[in-house]
Amino acid sequence: MLQRRDFLKTSAAMTSALALPNVARAQASKLLRFVPQANLSSLDAVAGTQYVVRNAAFLVWDTLYGIDSALTPKPQMCEGHTVDAELKTWTFKLRAGLKFHDGEKVTTRDVVASLNRWMVRDTMGQIIKSRLDALEAIDDLTFRFRLNQPFSKMLFALGKNNAPVAFIMPERIAKTDPFKLISEYVGSGPMRFRADLWVPGANAVFDRYTDYSVRPEPADWLSGGKQMHFDRIEWKIMPDAATAGAALQSGEVDWWENPIADLVPLLRKNKNIAVDIADPFGNIGSLRMNHLHPPFNDVRARKALLMALDQQDYMQAVVGDNPDLWKRLPSFFTPGTPVSTEEGGDLLKGPRNYEAAKKLLSEAGLLGSKVTLVVATDIAITKAQGDVTADMLKRIGFEVDFVATDWGTLGARRAKKDPPSQGGWNIFHSWHAGADCVNPAPYTALDAGGDKAWFGWPKSDAVQAGILNWYAAADLGAEKLAMAALNKASFDNVTYAPTGFFLLYQAWRNSVSGVVKAPFPVFWGVQKA
Amino acid sequence: MFAYIVRRVIATIPVVAIVALFIFSLLYFAPGDPAAIIAGDQATPADVERIRASLGLDRPFVVRFVEWSWQVMQGNLGVSIFTNLPVSKMIAQRIEPSLSLMLLTLTFAISVAVPLGVLAAWKHGTWIDRVVMMFAVFFFSVPVFVVGYLLAYTFALQLDWFPVQGYTPFSISDPLPWLRNLVLPAAALGGAFVALIARITRATMLEVLSQDYIRTARAKGVSQRPILFMHALKNAAVPIVTIIGIGFAGLIGGAVVTESVFAIPGVGRLVVDAILRRDYPIIQGVVLMLSFTYVLVNLCVDLLYTLFDPRIRY
Repeated sequence: MLQRRDFLKTSAAMTSALALPNVARAQASKLLRFVPQANLSSLDAVAGTQYVVRNAAFLVWDTLYGIDSALTPKPQMCEGHTVDAELKTWTFKLRAGLKFHDGEKVTTRDVVASLNRWMVRDTMGQIIKSRLDALEAIDDLTFRFRLNQPFSKMLFALGKNNAPVAFIMPERIAKTDPFKLISEYVGSGPMRFRADLWVPGANAVFDRYTDYSVRPEPADWLSGGKQMHFDRIEWKIMPDAATAGAALQSGEVDWWENPIADLVPLLRKNKNIAVDIADPFGNIGSLRMNHLHPPFNDVRARKALLMALDQQDYMQAVVGDNPDLWKRLPSFFTPGTPVSTEEGGDLLKGPRNYEAAKKLLSEAGLLGSKVTLVVATDIAITKAQGDVTADMLKRIGFEVDFVATDWGTLGARRAKKDPPSQGGWNIFHSWHAGADCVNPAPYTALDAGGDKAWFGWPKSDAVQAGILNWYAAADLGAEKLAMAALNKASFDNVTYAPTGFFLLYQAWRNSVSGVVKAPFPVFWGVQKA
Repeated sequence: MFAYIVRRVIATIPVVAIVALFIFSLLYFAPGDPAAIIAGDQATPADVERIRASLGLDRPFVVRFVEWSWQVMQGNLGVSIFTNLPVSKMIAQRIEPSLSLMLLTLTFAISVAVPLGVLAAWKHGTWIDRVVMMFAVFFFSVPVFVVGYLLAYTFALQLDWFPVQGYTPFSISDPLPWLRNLVLPAAALGGAFVALIARITRATMLEVLSQDYIRTARAKGVSQRPILFMHALKNAAVPIVTIIGIGFAGLIGGAVVTESVFAIPGVGRLVVDAILRRDYPIIQGVVLMLSFTYVLVNLCVDLLYTLFDPRIRY
């Protein structure tokens, strides 16, 4: 029979065993535990454009070309290419010996099927498709684009990091409808996705692909040798920022992709943790207006917003007081990139002028108009911008209908073209990764093609002409000229209102080395002591 | 008794059917669009529309409801819109952590709360009673996530006794990692439950202890322990069991929060993620499962009454 004293002894022993210091936590250096920015709910970075999906897909799939940190496309799966003088016939040769994770060889049949799927969804792909006479496999390793018009941006299109990315999949998978998610995750990238260990919303596991053919050049973003130093990478989905921060501090995870600004001071105090800027290209805040309905179907109302909009208010609301994390941006394009420009951005420069904004609205007969501002309050960045906008709109004489909602609802509502009084909207906020705003190619939000444009449906022939001029530009000088004209046309049209440029952090344990700044987490080259 | 159980199980069918219709209608008319989430922020409206069509979300309510109901009747809860995985598989992946958390929480709550409630009733009006009730009020008033953060900060970050987050599957050969992962979440989730059960136990025990048969037992010289645990507690058990059953619903709600705070891959987090993404098949599947479970728990509670009170017969 169990005696009281025995029971107490056993309980004490169990309690001390449970509460042993967490020394057993020390993990093998071949395992990396990573907390991504969001839940990984699929892996198809062609059918969808979510950043988290694209980031995971970079581990599993490879691309024909890959951009480096100077945004120059370099051969990746390709050995090289030739192009005729007219830039119409592009012939590519694959590297020999490439294999998919199921052991099958990568052939040009896979490439053609993958590119055909990608061309339906990607903006640059659609331009290639519109100029395409044929995309053909010459032999197992050689394939060719035959175009009826020159296209100088082919290598960038095939190697860019913006989703939809031109990932190469086995032909049987690539034949999936481009508007449907794939359900088999076989690539030829440096890591294999372990679908059998996937717990969506909690855990995703990637194992090193031992047959991966590493390029000899040093790795630089998506180019060069993607040398993996881990046998396994585990993505730990943590919806709660405080939990992720605590897990990083206690050593239960190694790398956190996007610590929130509030927790950064705490993380900095921990000598075992490094904190640095995640993406040098940062992000551009966006105030998106609906061009279909009053008051913002009138360009004067849109310009009045630019006169009153103070980017400092927005950026401090988004990232706090640290001036290193934000800057004013009188441009639609990412600052500090090869073709960035501020041409035409004068309305965003200098002191804010509420009176001038009111006067302009008055002239347009729009003073006192009702504005339906739909704000996703479950996302800190959109919530912060929405609060500033509500205040600004009131100051210049609008009546504000502030609709607080979640991102899922906003995603549906912003697609409605109905008037705001019938479930539509006037303004919503978002933000664009700076890497998507380096030029017009991946920049969906800049398009001003009316009905076919991004939400808000801006229409401007000058903007559309500017985009085409950039595509036609043959050298950097011509690109810069095209970009300047495009930026000016976009400000003349007020396609949307940039609310500023801001940077976000990443944090990792000091035992991890080789973390680089990039628009996506770069796992190759990273090591753990 | 057997006939009663069969009748009650059959009675769950219309309940679950009504829940199914209600949840399907609610989701159909609620704003939100999984196609927009799949497409991502950079997709054009036309892309979103095409994805919506490819998912069959543009079809009429009746068509979708009939199709889904037919699937459910065949035991098929459908496939997740995002992962393409069967909903039943996704629920199965998440059952063990949730069940573990709930069982541990229930065990902890009952084993702590019932003795505390009995003690408070026995020492009614003394400082012991007041201290017990003060703790009960405190834990009942403080939200689960606050208790969770405080426990994690103290026992995981500062003292390094337990992990901050995560879940280790149960292993019969080495259950300690499983237990270490669940101690803090169970304590956080159990706090409010302990408070609730302790208060009910105290109140019902006070009522029973004032009954004539207890006075008679005392007059006959029966010692305190048998009076408390054999005579009083058994007669006070029916309301306590009832409140444990009702509290099970609260436990499910609390588990949603606790699983998020401690990053436990349970059913609660599954359904929260699904709601945020509008992954309709998962939401419908989980709600159906939970409503069925709740009906079964109530049945178990009703059957337990017969153990504690022989006068109750079905």
